[in-house]
Amino acid sequence: MNNETVKIQTLNNNNRMSTQELLQLITQKLEEGYTNFEIDGCGQHNIGGSSWSKDRKSELLFKIKNPGQRAGAMALKGTKIVIDGSAPADVGWLNSGATIIVKGDCGDTAAHCAAGGKIYVSGRVGTRSGALMKHDPKFEVPEFWVLKNTGSFGFEFMGGGIAVVCGWDCENISSVLGSRSCVGMVGGTIYVRGNFNDIASCVEVKPLDDNDINFLKSGLVKFLNEIDKSELFDKLTNFTEWKKIVPVSSGNKKERMSVSEFRKNNWIENGIFGDFINDDFTVYPMPSTGAGRIHIPKWNKENCIDCKICFNNCPQNAIEYENKIYHSADDKCIGCGICEAVCPKKCWEIISDRKEIS
Amino acid sequence: MCRIGAIKSKKYLHPSIALKLMRSQQKGHDNSGFAFVMQDLGGIFNAHKDLPTLSLAATVEGTRRAEDILHDLGFTRVLQWAPEINHQKSLKIEPMPNYVFETFQYPKSHKYATQEEKEELLIDTALLLRKELEKDNSGYVYSFWPDVLTLKEIGSPKDIGTYFGLWEENEELCAKVITAQCRQNTNYDIVRYAAHPFFLDGYTILANGENTFFEKNRDYQRSLYKGYIGFESDSQCFLYTLHYINKILKWPIQYYKHTITPLPFEEIEARQDKDILLRIKASLSHLEINGPNTIFGVLPNGEMLCVCDSKKLRPVVIGQDDDTVIMTSEVTGINDIMPGRDIAKDIYPNEKETIIVKNDLTVERWKQ
Amino acid sequence: MEAVNITNLNLDDLPWIIEYDESKCIQCGKCTAVCSFGAIKPDVETRRELSNGLKKPSFHKVLVIKQKVSYTHHCRGCGMCSRVCPNGAIKAVRNPNDRYSVRYRAAKAESLKKGGRSNLNTEGRTLDKIKIGRISQMTDPSLDAARHKFELRTPFGRILSAEKLNLHLENNNMELSTKLPPNRWIYPILMGDMSIGAVSWRMWEAMAIATAYLNEVMGLPVRMCTGEGGIPIRLLKSKYVKYMILQIASGHFGWNRIIQSMPDMIEDPAGILIKIGQGAKPGDGGLLMASKVAKYVQEIRGVPKADLLSPPTHQGLYSIEESVQKMFLSMNAAFNFKVPVAIKVAASVTSVSVYNNLLRDPYNIVGGFFIDGLAGGTGAAHEISLDHTGHPITSKLRDCYLAAVHQGRQGEIPLFAGGGLGQTGSFAADAFKLICLGANGVFTGRLLLEIAGCVGNDTGKCNSCNTGLCPAGIATQDLCLTKRLDIDSAAQNIVNYFIATDMELKKLMGPIGNSTLPIGRSDALITVDKHISNRLDIQYAC
Repeated sequence: MNNETVKIQTLNNNNRMSTQELLQLITQKLEEGYTNFEIDGCGQHNIGGSSWSKDRKSELLFKIKNPGQRAGAMALKGTKIVIDGSAPADVGWLNSGATIIVKGDCGDTAAHCAAGGKIYVSGRVGTRSGALMKHDPKFEVPEFWVLKNTGSFGFEFMGGGIAVVCGWDCENISSVLGSRSCVGMVGGTIYVRGNFNDIASCVEVKPLDDNDINFLKSGLVKFLNEIDKSELFDKLTNFTEWKKIVPVSSGNKKERMSVSEFRKNNWIENGIFGDFINDDFTVYPMPSTGAGRIHIPKWNKENCIDCKICFNNCPQNAIEYENKIYHSADDKCIGCGICEAVCPKKCWEIISDRKEIS
Repeated sequence: MCRIGAIKSKKYLHPSIALKLMRSQQKGHDNSGFAFVMQDLGGIFNAHKDLPTLSLAATVEGTRRAEDILHDLGFTRVLQWAPEINHQKSLKIEPMPNYVFETFQYPKSHKYATQEEKEELLIDTALLLRKELEKDNSGYVYSFWPDVLTLKEIGSPKDIGTYFGLWEENEELCAKVITAQCRQNTNYDIVRYAAHPFFLDGYTILANGENTFFEKNRDYQRSLYKGYIGFESDSQCFLYTLHYINKILKWPIQYYKHTITPLPFEEIEARQDKDILLRIKASLSHLEINGPNTIFGVLPNGEMLCVCDSKKLRPVVIGQDDDTVIMTSEVTGINDIMPGRDIAKDIYPNEKETIIVKNDLTVERWKQ
Repeated sequence: MEAVNITNLNLDDLPWIIEYDESKCIQCGKCTAVCSFGAIKPDVETRRELSNGLKKPSFHKVLVIKQKVSYTHHCRGCGMCSRVCPNGAIKAVRNPNDRYSVRYRAAKAESLKKGGRSNLNTEGRTLDKIKIGRISQMTDPSLDAARHKFELRTPFGRILSAEKLNLHLENNNMELSTKLPPNRWIYPILMGDMSIGAVSWRMWEAMAIATAYLNEVMGLPVRMCTGEGGIPIRLLKSKYVKYMILQIASGHFGWNRIIQSMPDMIEDPAGILIKIGQGAKPGDGGLLMASKVAKYVQEIRGVPKADLLSPPTHQGLYSIEESVQKMFLSMNAAFNFKVPVAIKVAASVTSVSVYNNLLRDPYNIVGGFFIDGLAGGTGAAHEISLDHTGHPITSKLRDCYLAAVHQGRQGEIPLFAGGGLGQTGSFAADAFKLICLGANGVFTGRLLLEIAGCVGNDTGKCNSCNTGLCPAGIATQDLCLTKRLDIDSAAQNIVNYFIATDMELKKLMGPIGNSTLPIGRSDALITVDKHISNRLDIQYAC
């Protein structure tokens, strides 16, 4: 292996080395056994990503100035990337184990889909940072540390991992998480220091417990050291200023009021027609008995021969008789009309008059 | 993804700074063109800041026709400048035969005309020139306005820079405000008019985005003002809306953001000016935009503007030092040309902000 | 024996035939008990057994269920019998040899009436031939409903152009013109337009409760049009009236109560809708059969029990100018110019002229233009009107929108389209497509009934709203039938449907990358039909 540092200048006069040329040069040097790089970039993408040393054991070190998007994207364990200054979007995208240190700000979607390693940012990070971070339990937990604040829509659909937003130098900012962060977040933990608001309803804010505090204490030492700000340790370790954000546990989701409850509790008492009609809103089954019948049998004594055919054929056993007087019991009869059909003397009549509510 | 840049300085700057600003931001499609608008001109144009300069790319015939039209209208030429062409076969560029930058004296008929009358004449003249040259594709009229110079070309930005000698700084060509973009619209046929920045009546706009309400915007804008034409790019709508709000309706610039990306109702309801915001939302619903966008603009008074879509889907950063403020898509460009600045002063605008760079270079951030 | 007369109505003339399986029937009587039309009844049939040679043939009697052959008591295919049958022994089957409508006219010397909707679908549905084809794929991101805020709101009321807002600086404050017409931001789907009387009190109240719930619990500003049958005073005087758009049609039913309630109203109504016509029976007035004019309906409407015919036109309105002056001005004045006043017309070849005139109204008092297409529903109509008059909604809505675009006045009078939406299952898709074609919103009535339990469909099932015998308790005033309708379930179903539709609208907005309503975004649509492409000016795709 070769410990000599490979220094690459990507701008000569007005000729800029393209991303493709630069990445191919780095790959070539890696194959030659180099592990240390100093790259003076001009916006080239994906620097430091998806790389490993020839012997698969030696650590890689990339010191980069002015990288383009996706610095450290898809980087592996054993890679350390130090960016001197600010970097644009997608720093540490799909980070799978590298330590990425940004001594400046990050553009949008920093740590997007990071699933391993550590990302340390000494400044701010942009919109949608930390989105879709996740944690595969067979690997270490990804960490994403930000000294200042994040843009809006952060940590969308976060599924795992730990994000720490220190809120340093953010006294004049109303929310160190911007607006509408944590939408769709289902896993992981965000530690926040300072004011924040307008987070999604799928998460809840909790105070820190001892484990949280121990994690932050030891993590802050490493983080601040890497970004050359160890002097801030005391100022960031007043843990009453911190909170943590986690997804709402499924048991805490509340159910919507039913329309029935709404009608009983909120709606106009006795209904809007209550001054015309008396409706208790009970529902008649099909078929109904009693007043709910749409057809009602009426017995006519005149021709009755007391043959009991109606009595014996009524499917509801609703017909009663005494002293040759027949009668259909309202609480049993459904108004099917069988009595009328079977009577040889047409003593039953079915009344199907429409009834109105009063 | 196009990348855009806007520079405002206390000093006169050569357009090479725009090439350098955009150089590190190249994306796959960004070798398709280069265009810039220079405003508040120095160098040789400094002597005639109140007279209109024509920026024209044309065939020989087109150039002649344009000059004839201007002559017939009574304009008289006071200054002519053409870039020194550095023609090399290897350059990736599809040049027009002539590039004409000419400054004219107003016609005698307008000697005592008001500012409005003069502006009206310039707009009508630019529209007429465009219409006449469009008939046979003999030329492109990019701007005809005092103190404004526009160049748009198809090809590799680096090679376009070489072709026009723009990499070499000189004092002839410089300005205090430069807006630039290094890409043609690659969605459709490549058309010179479709390249940002767009200029109309003192307003300049350039955008990185996709306006999914283009058809709604266009259908409405067509009837609002004679200068709202072309629509070769969905981003022209941003220019026309800015012009309509600020110039035609004379509304303060804050209402630009309220028009293109109105606040959600629940936020409006909580505000004191809710009546105004709801009325704007209703009356100008056809000027609302949807889709990802970052928009830079220059106002007639020289102030610079930046707004984003309501979801902040496209990148933008603003860097500054004592002499210059730069807005651009990615921080890499600023890192290149302003490496020593205080990065803590960099501004990352959010989805609710309007950023205004005043003429004394103070930067105001207005929350919508 | 009764002789068969060839000119009499016969079983095989009827639209529906009862298929009855005697072997499965246990003669429980439920089917006949629930048939509100009295179309089936138990009967005793005599059966003859074959002689075994030793004695004469014998006869025995069986109880069966029989269909009535009658102009008044024929089967409408509602299917209640099969719902209650424990053994699946009975069902109504469509008769391919149906000649009922010919027989009816020949026997009664009357035009045939029915409820529901046209069953003559000869054209196919335009909306089904349109797809949302402009999908955000790489050019710009699709959005998703969970992540982004979607705003499903549309303006209701006269919208002035920006110039006329007169937004200006006054004492360092921005001020608007003090004389602006009322505007409301409402949900783009309006419900109702069905009158008290045409539907049962329970159904009407269920819609009102659902409206209130959607507003107060769900935060969806859904508005309900009351229909032309008046409004209960208890609702007028409640806070919920702010969700109601009060309708006035040619019959002017119930307006004395509305006027008398005005001093006591604690909220302004959501709007006023002047109904000129209805898509299902354009140019024909309202029709409420006497059987549905219950006592409370008589009171609210101020009429006796009789067939109620609203005239086909408002008396005294014989020109657009008069309409604007009399109706719009008066309705605006009645609520002190604080309530949007809109108009509903049946789609017609003339709709664009009407819309143009309204757009040019100098008083800016027209707050919405509702166009009702021919596939709309009705409580009662002559079949001839239902099946043979009217204009499809889609091209007419588009014409009106483009007429406004032509004048640079799109959005100034919000356009609302309705009539047969959701017919083929997806209401959200229909609504979305019409919005892309230029509608500010859509309205629906009949679909709400189906959501609540109406069994009718577009191919002749039930469609008996005119009889007052609605088996679902929806289009009836009969006590027993109405009480079949569970007001809470009906309202809950409507609420649920709106919640689902809201989600589905977002599911369509996301892929085209819009978080606000794509009103007029016809570039999002494609069609596989060349004629539709030409007519609507949307992209042809194949």
